[in-house]
Amino acid sequence: MSKKYLVAYMTLGYPNVNDFYKFIDNIEDFGVDILEIGIPPKYAKYDGPVIRKTYKIVSNNIKNYYEILYEVKQRIKIPVVILTYLEEYVDKLGDFLLKLKESRVDGVLFPDLLIDYVDEYEKYVNLIKNEGIKTVLFTAPLMPDDLIIKASKLTDLFLYYGVRPTTGVVIPISIDSLINRIRTMVQSKLVVGFGLNSIEDIKKAMSVGADGIAVGTSLIEEVDKNGVNGALELIKKLRGVLDEY
Amino acid sequence: MVNSFDIIPKYWYNIIPDLPKPLPPPRDPQDAEFSRIDLLRKILPKEVLRQEFTIERFVKIPDEVRDRYINIGRPTPLIRARRLEEYLKTPARIYFKYEGATPTGSHKINTAIPQAYFAANEGVSHVTTETGAGQWGTAVALAASMYDLESTIFMVRVSYEHKPMRRTIMELYGAKVHASPTDLTEFGRKILKEDSRHPGSLGIAMSEAIEYALENNYRYLVGSVLDVVILHQSIIGMESINQLEALGEEPDTIIGCVGGGSNFGGFTYPFIGTKRGKKYIAVGSSEVPKFSKGKYEYDFPDSAGLLPLVKMITLGKDFIPPPIYSGGLRYHGVAPTLSLLVKEKVVEWREYTEEEIYNSAKIFMKTQGIIPAPESAHAIKAAIDEALEAKKTNDKKVILVNVSGHGLLDLSNYESMKNRVMKK
Repeated sequence: MSKKYLVAYMTLGYPNVNDFYKFIDNIEDFGVDILEIGIPPKYAKYDGPVIRKTYKIVSNNIKNYYEILYEVKQRIKIPVVILTYLEEYVDKLGDFLLKLKESRVDGVLFPDLLIDYVDEYEKYVNLIKNEGIKTVLFTAPLMPDDLIIKASKLTDLFLYYGVRPTTGVVIPISIDSLINRIRTMVQSKLVVGFGLNSIEDIKKAMSVGADGIAVGTSLIEEVDKNGVNGALELIKKLRGVLDEY
Repeated sequence: MVNSFDIIPKYWYNIIPDLPKPLPPPRDPQDAEFSRIDLLRKILPKEVLRQEFTIERFVKIPDEVRDRYINIGRPTPLIRARRLEEYLKTPARIYFKYEGATPTGSHKINTAIPQAYFAANEGVSHVTTETGAGQWGTAVALAASMYDLESTIFMVRVSYEHKPMRRTIMELYGAKVHASPTDLTEFGRKILKEDSRHPGSLGIAMSEAIEYALENNYRYLVGSVLDVVILHQSIIGMESINQLEALGEEPDTIIGCVGGGSNFGGFTYPFIGTKRGKKYIAVGSSEVPKFSKGKYEYDFPDSAGLLPLVKMITLGKDFIPPPIYSGGLRYHGVAPTLSLLVKEKVVEWREYTEEEIYNSAKIFMKTQGIIPAPESAHAIKAAIDEALEAKKTNDKKVILVNVSGHGLLDLSNYESMKNRVMKK
């Protein structure tokens, strides 16, 4: 059996640049396989209050995001995927991709690509891939089966499946039913995220065939409560849960 | 021999996995001071919310709910409108699904029952909702009484004044009914302060019902628009498929009226999802011109903006229907799934004036004897037009129309329509 993916999300430069570096310097050792870094958008369409708040803080404090991204890639070896909304870059995508390339990040994930740009998503996927940047596609239960199947063939690294409508808000859902619906359709690695803050839910997801989980809001809540060490402890705990599968 | 137990489906159907495009998700507004999506957890019964966001093609109907469906007379009849065909001299065969046969006189009970059942299971003691014409309020009042829940209904003021009979029924079932805008909620008081004679709207009444539920830790039952409601209503279409198959008929044109979109979705989606039928027609009112004048954009389902933004065809959350108009279908938006299907041209739309639907209702009364709800008369008008069109080309197609309710408690609407039509 191959190793299950632990995908960690952190907002770029949160809570401050020093602590952010401290966090990423340690995540590899604590068992993170892929790092997602959020670049603050003007409208965090599918983010809950916790991540929205981090965007506000960061965008007030940090001027040059790309310098920090470059530094991140100097410090860790695991793949780094940028998470931000296409809406904001759609008119200057070439510039944006170039900056990502110069920062040496591995990939990009636009949560709104298959939702608000579904008519032209293949065009954008090609543009990104042509720059040598990996494209992690974001899917959700509100997408039709056909699209999820297509996306799972196009995506790099893994297919992201956001099981709740927004990050961090723990809307009641049946994770196992949601994964059962798509598991046989998805040929790529399937990583499940959005509101996965209970070990019970994570175990449910893994037992019906998820290849990994993505966590963000609960890491930020740990950082806010117990500092970076708290977040690293949570990562260790989650790694332990995933290693049971 | 097919018995009713076999005709009622064991599963609800959700069209989302079969839509041509992704359904844009509900969102929190940009720079929101609080999360509407988070607030949903305090507004809706937990299981209703779980069904809204656990998207599966088929969802098992709990045995207790299925028993209640049978107890209120489901499956509802699928009737061939032979006299209407003869009157129109059309070669088409017209069938109508008669949702007016339920005790509350409309399809609304199909979702009120499971929502009340889930609420009662979770230990909720009291539910709230809004109502316009009173069909939804009546359905909630009955469903609440089935499960020994208290119910509070915020009824659009203009309807409250013109529809005392509906109010009586709700009260007979045990509901408390208030004319919205009320002074029971902050939002109601705000509206009354601006205009003490405000006629009310569904959007305002909805906001009041939600606010009142939040204030008292009750739960709110939702009557249309959200996916979970259309999921529950899918029994209309699933039964119709079984009933048509028993007759050896294949439908060509499938028609329903659209307020928020739940009877239309419940009726047509099982056909659309399984590629049965060739043409689907959603019918709205010219006086509330959602399809012709509405915009497809993110908007709030309620006027106060307590629910998340959803992407729908909308006239705007503050839309107030014309004061002199009795045809129903007054809600400002169209369910997101139906909006998407209209935008993708899977579903066609029509709009008819009050006068047109009045005349169609009269034809239906004369030929089939049933007084349709003014809402349903919109669908009947489209069915008549389609049947007349078929006559021109001698097309023997099968037209299927959902008669979403009866009009026995809408006689005052017909009275005022009659007066207006006669004056012309």
